[in-house]
Amino acid sequence: MSKMEQFSYDNGIVKKFAIASVVFGIVGMLVGLLLAFQFVFPSANFETPWLTFGRIRPLHTNAVIFAFVGNGIFMGVYYSMQRLLKAPMFSKTLSNIHFWGWQLIIVAAAITLPLGITSSHEYAELEWPIDIAIAIVWVIFGINMFGTIMKRRENHMYVAIWFYIATWATVTILHIFNNLELPVTLFKSYPVFAGVQDALVQWWYGHNAVAFFLTTPYLGLMYYFLPKAANRPIFSYRLSIIHFWALIFIYIWAGPHHLLYTSLPDWAQSLGMAFSLMLIAPSWGGMLNGLLTLRGAWDRVRNDPILKFMVVAVTAYGMSTFEGPMMSIKSFNAITHYTDWTIGHVHIGALGWNGMLTFGVLYWMIPRIYQTKLYSIQLANVHFWLGTLGIVFYAIPLYWAGVTQQLMWKQFTPDGFLQYGNFLETVTQIIPMYALRIVGGILYITGVFVMVYNLMKTARAGKFLKEEFVEAPALERHVPHKGEYWHRWFERRSFLFTVLAVVAVAIGGLVEIIPMMMVESNVPKIETVKPYTALELQGRDIYIREGCVGCHSQMIRPFRSETERYGEFSKSGEFIYDRPFLWGSKRTGPDLHRVGGKYPDSWHFNHMLDPESMSPGSIMPPYPWLIEDDLDISTTEAKLKALQTLGTPYDDAYVQRANNHLQSQAKSIAASLNTDGVDVENLENKEIVALIAYLQRLGTDIKK
Amino acid sequence: MYKYILDSVENIDWLAIGPLIIFFIFFTGLTIVTLRKNKSFIKKMGEMPLDE
Repeated sequence: MSKMEQFSYDNGIVKKFAIASVVFGIVGMLVGLLLAFQFVFPSANFETPWLTFGRIRPLHTNAVIFAFVGNGIFMGVYYSMQRLLKAPMFSKTLSNIHFWGWQLIIVAAAITLPLGITSSHEYAELEWPIDIAIAIVWVIFGINMFGTIMKRRENHMYVAIWFYIATWATVTILHIFNNLELPVTLFKSYPVFAGVQDALVQWWYGHNAVAFFLTTPYLGLMYYFLPKAANRPIFSYRLSIIHFWALIFIYIWAGPHHLLYTSLPDWAQSLGMAFSLMLIAPSWGGMLNGLLTLRGAWDRVRNDPILKFMVVAVTAYGMSTFEGPMMSIKSFNAITHYTDWTIGHVHIGALGWNGMLTFGVLYWMIPRIYQTKLYSIQLANVHFWLGTLGIVFYAIPLYWAGVTQQLMWKQFTPDGFLQYGNFLETVTQIIPMYALRIVGGILYITGVFVMVYNLMKTARAGKFLKEEFVEAPALERHVPHKGEYWHRWFERRSFLFTVLAVVAVAIGGLVEIIPMMMVESNVPKIETVKPYTALELQGRDIYIREGCVGCHSQMIRPFRSETERYGEFSKSGEFIYDRPFLWGSKRTGPDLHRVGGKYPDSWHFNHMLDPESMSPGSIMPPYPWLIEDDLDISTTEAKLKALQTLGTPYDDAYVQRANNHLQSQAKSIAASLNTDGVDVENLENKEIVALIAYLQRLGTDIKK
Repeated sequence: MYKYILDSVENIDWLAIGPLIIFFIFFTGLTIVTLRKNKSFIKKMGEMPLDE
């Protein structure tokens, strides 16, 4: 028997992350609620750019993913890791740098996103200086985690730790590849990939951000906290091993299911669809493993709100991992994509899986680190029902809205015309569903406030145990014995384990991405497609700044219902100068890929000033500041030079006199606006002119 | 019917078949190895969160 060693678990860092998760969770949900209101009351942007949908939608998604769930992950990891490894964290200083660094990044996001500083990649919107900060803080977290693993007093790593390791390794790879960009200024960069390649890398990232940020770390938490709360071991440890390896191996391939029927080559789409379907096996294996842990103890679920939260969380995991593969089937995706179905789907994951599991963990953990009992079981039950009903009221109206709208988009009259030729008709039809969604959101967030009250009362009644003193035998030198299996051998070697996990996730990424980058034939060139002019480029960057991509796609799928409505379907060769790509993933408004030349310049001017003047009943917010603010042309040359470096064929002469060209194009648009009766002083210098130039160019090259 | 399937074999892209084979081998190997694991070890690992 080896010598007993005394040490302590650091609960201080756990408490900090718990508070941050709850505080930022509330902020993220409140922003979500404001967005939900804007669908029904478009004036809820209060005519300020900083509160307009396109800018705060990424604020909401980033706050929920990286601030609420992110801090939730770290809370759970720091609590469970110390105990599973029987060791305090490697370094308290690193724990604290990790905590404060992460919070600073969140604050930076909360400032820059409403200002329109965005790289436009979904869930990776933050600009390059913040990307670097994220990488640094993430590496600090990694050093702290692996340092703790090295110092452990437990020979073997429990499955939760594997999930943490895979999370760390994969997020590192994803973050780097999706943020390869060339800085132009402190707050502006262009991605190194363009068009189809950019789209593939983005959704390889985007899907796996869901997989390796919202799923694998939370599965680690499930494998630790569910047995704790149920006071019984996981149903099958064998199944958990298969769950882990199969899940991380398959997940990484599934990204292209976000790009079905787009200009992405067919082989990549089919690959994404096949692996997405296969994902249901490990996902449901994991869900059943969680639920079956409670076999023979279901009577306790009736009385214990913590188990209730966990059961709903694991069930929501099962629901969304069933829905995901279904939505990846091409014919099914044709119905759900670009609609509110997707929003309903992700909220089953975010509110159900991540939210309810976080709450369950908090109710279990807070009384323990405060050495007391939960203040009120009854209030926890109230929270449970508010949360559960909130999810139901959130998701079902959006499923309904999604199907309704897509069916309306696809409806033809017996004469072969679109029945609902005006896109707006399909929007006003589903406004009641948007209103119901607000009810769901209010119920859910009310529940969170009930929890905050309950936990604060609990904390006040108890005494916080900052350092939890324990003792455990020192780690004995392991002597291999007969019958030891390979997994036990390398499981003790965390470095090798990490390498193997990286290999498992890298295979999928490499098979998908390398051919896409290397094989020229994947993106057939179109002779008439030319780079944007200086003014159009500036207009495009305004389009990016305002987050137009949040509501408008630029990708016409090859369906008759779409070509009839929008025009010729989109070809991959049309996007070769698009950095970043702006295909979008939701149509709250119509697709814009062929909007160029569809309306006169003055239509766009009036529409941006007051959308309802051109489209009565529109829920698009007004953009008066585009007409008031002058276009910043000091960056034009730097932008063109950056694009030149990345391979856009601008000649040097054009780059040097870019602003002259920009001004002359602006003058001609201003003149056309004047002719139509638009009378604004210095019109040719305004941002709106650049935006109009860009919109009028969209999708017109192939018509030349 | 099967003739058409066989006829088209040479056109099947390696990108479709390759990953399937890789996954099949990986998954089968993983399952075999996991099922052969020592029972007492599995029990000990499963109880780890409760053993504090």
